[in-house]
Amino acid sequence: MSAIDNIPQKLGISDPWVQQGGVYWLVSNSLNIRAIAAVMGECHARLVTITAFQLPEQGFRLDYHWDLEGKLMGFSFQLAGNSIESIYDLCEAADWIEREIHDHYAVEFLGRECEPLLLRTGDTLGANLREETK
Amino acid sequence: MSYKIPMGPYHPALEEPYKLDLVCTGETVSEAKLNVGFNFRNMEHLAEARNHIQVIALMERVCGICSNVHTQTLCQAMEGLTGLTPPPRAMYIRTIMDELERLHSHTLWAGVAAKLMGFKTMFMHCFELREAVMDILQAISGNRVNYSMNRIGGVNRDIEDPAAILRMVEAVEKEMARTIVPIFTTSTTARYRCAGVGVLSHEKAVAVGVVGPNARASGVAQDIRRAAPYAAYEEMEFDVPVQTSGDVSARVLVRALEILESCRILRQALSKLPPGEIHTEGEKFQFITGTSVSRTEGPRGEAIYSVSWKEGSKYPARLHVRTPTYATMPAVRYMVMGARLADTPLIQASIDPCYSCTDR
Repeated sequence: MSAIDNIPQKLGISDPWVQQGGVYWLVSNSLNIRAIAAVMGECHARLVTITAFQLPEQGFRLDYHWDLEGKLMGFSFQLAGNSIESIYDLCEAADWIEREIHDHYAVEFLGRECEPLLLRTGDTLGANLREETK
Repeated sequence: MSYKIPMGPYHPALEEPYKLDLVCTGETVSEAKLNVGFNFRNMEHLAEARNHIQVIALMERVCGICSNVHTQTLCQAMEGLTGLTPPPRAMYIRTIMDELERLHSHTLWAGVAAKLMGFKTMFMHCFELREAVMDILQAISGNRVNYSMNRIGGVNRDIEDPAAILRMVEAVEKEMARTIVPIFTTSTTARYRCAGVGVLSHEKAVAVGVVGPNARASGVAQDIRRAAPYAAYEEMEFDVPVQTSGDVSARVLVRALEILESCRILRQALSKLPPGEIHTEGEKFQFITGTSVSRTEGPRGEAIYSVSWKEGSKYPARLHVRTPTYATMPAVRYMVMGARLADTPLIQASIDPCYSCTDR
């Protein structure tokens, strides 16, 4: 039994991991990013990255990746609008990652300050990767 | 009384632009703020207008030192979307290139660190050895940097005479074992200059998500080559050096020991290089719709690529890269707090930072 096997239970989720594209995904409608970040912290998992995608119609998708004993876990969140709760206070490694997504997509991370911009000068948000500002 | 000292973005101690805003009380650093992005190139956006061949050349330019790691991780991710599996010989050649790149990176870093320690003779010697490593890389790839070795489904160039490359590696290993490794691990100058300086605790290394040799110097025993093997690493015997003191001395020691482990892997890979093709030439492929994620252990730690494609599209829908230094650099803030101002150049250099990777 590997360390990631207990994680769905700790999150109160009965769905199993689904292995796809090099990642163990936990797919469930009841996922909460702050609850996940707290459990990851308890397990000493390492936040690897967050990948943001702009969805074709509207909104965004954020894929959160944590590593535990060499296994890469993935949790995907679809944002109807452009905001999601920050996990920076629970997971310090999210600091620059959240700020960069804010730079590129103008996604708001609730509960923290993301400015000044991390990688660019100026104050225009979403100028790089967000479709409507390209 | 506190006063502020800006270090950078252009500073003699920095190889690339980056800024550290330091608050000092007397000679002691009490607070530090990092500023990055001076070389931001928006490569993730540029990738969305490059086909599967052009995007490899683009991402090779993320970093001038660990360029091979970037193309390899990208190709591994794209192979996940095409179903192509590189032949065993290609897997070995990728492993060989990875370890030569690690040697190149670690000797370059050792030279820079020696210079900042005031150990100029050692600096010259490290750079002489780095030239020898680059000669090997050139003998294999034709290039000293940006080797253009990786492609989807394998590598572009074969190692036709592994015995000749092995002799070159053994000559470099002998010299490194005679000079760099003992000097960095036992010399009084190096020890006094580095011990107890720029400490990053185990707890902070885990919290910040530090990767690679910097994490291993703080007791975090993670190495993607061992934890999630790729290329031919599963068939290689090697140790993962780990130290617990978390200071500059530990970071020096981990890299010095990793030089020997890289030579050990190179000897195995070159001796056991399997026969056969080096790529899946002629095998038709197409991208499926989806996202593939791939990781490698670069000289500075874990690199991760997430590549998304839509079936029938010429270009990736999204390409995200998180480089090793991007994960590690926020920890510099904790390393310099409480340190002497004069030690900050050495401390920031001790993480072997790559600003080009961070800004990408």
